[in-house]
Amino acid sequence: MSVYAVNKICRDALHDLAFRDAVKRDPAAAIAPRDLSGDERKALLAGDVAWLYDHGCHPFLMSYLTRWDLFGLSPAVYTARIQSAHDTRD
Amino acid sequence: MAAIVAGFGMPHNPGSPALVARDGPQCETARYYAQMAKHIEGAAPDVLIFFTDDHFNTFFLDNFPTFAIGIADATAGPNDQTPMPQYKVAVAGALATHIRTNAIAHGFDISLAQDFDVDHAVMVPLHFLTPGMKIPVLPIFINCLAPPLPTAQRCFALGQAVREAVESWPQKQRVAVIGSGSFSLEIGGPKIPIGDRAACTPDPQWSQHVQDLVKEVRIDELVAESTAARMLQAGNIGGELLNWIALLGAIGPRKPVTVLPQNDHGQAFVAWRLN
Repeated sequence: MSVYAVNKICRDALHDLAFRDAVKRDPAAAIAPRDLSGDERKALLAGDVAWLYDHGCHPFLMSYLTRWDLFGLSPAVYTARIQSAHDTRD
Repeated sequence: MAAIVAGFGMPHNPGSPALVARDGPQCETARYYAQMAKHIEGAAPDVLIFFTDDHFNTFFLDNFPTFAIGIADATAGPNDQTPMPQYKVAVAGALATHIRTNAIAHGFDISLAQDFDVDHAVMVPLHFLTPGMKIPVLPIFINCLAPPLPTAQRCFALGQAVREAVESWPQKQRVAVIGSGSFSLEIGGPKIPIGDRAACTPDPQWSQHVQDLVKEVRIDELVAESTAARMLQAGNIGGELLNWIALLGAIGPRKPVTVLPQNDHGQAFVAWRLN
């Protein structure tokens, strides 16, 4: 499990303009060098934020993706998909 | 000897500078920050101690401290693309070193940052409180965002240790302490309703309850009730209450002089004057 790498991708989307643009152009190519598990890569490219949340990715960092609709995650798509995550806090 | 002369709790929404630039000085957020700035002016502090949380900008998950203190000549920010001016501000490095030494002597293994910038949690309040950036700051970082969080009891005790350190500092300095953050806020998590914003205020009632306890000086109850589970029930950013609890430890039990609620946003602006 390399949750760290997913969190780092989200952070880099905020801080690294060249990386952000690369994700906009070709998401699969942009994250190809990143050390992700197969399931993580698949979930990220599918914008499956519920799966990523359930596997430990930090929601604050994932929310950055909605600022530029990265991985197809507009705010509307993101907020609809995150509903099915398992909120263990209640 | 140095002394804590005032305390302040307030939010640090990254959208506030742009909102106030758009809506003008009569909007609620502008007026509330202005009231805090007036108290700062009246207290005339020489140093602003910040209990603050970093949003994975100054630090990241490769090395994320539970507690850290910034010791440098100066810092700058915001470092997180917050739409607002960039500032540079002096750091009260000598006092910070004294506080760190005393905190470690009291059992707080507080991390050290000597080369750091700060995000919106420090710079948004400063933008409104002291836009001239003439008062040195002293940031103390608390992990409020990445569970497991430190306990409220531990953060309260950290605040007490900071007060003891300030009061044993031989220079005659007036110190104000600021707790930065919200009581109820969810960002990117499953409590957010479907819509066009990846954030919401899940628990405005908790926000009001926190303020009631603060106003009635029921600090022991606040500390006891502020378990990680309860804070996170109010949102995944609800742990920012820990910055306020550290502030309360630093200023001691006393009634605030100003309380300005924004419960729709899960937050408040509060001021205490100590003399």
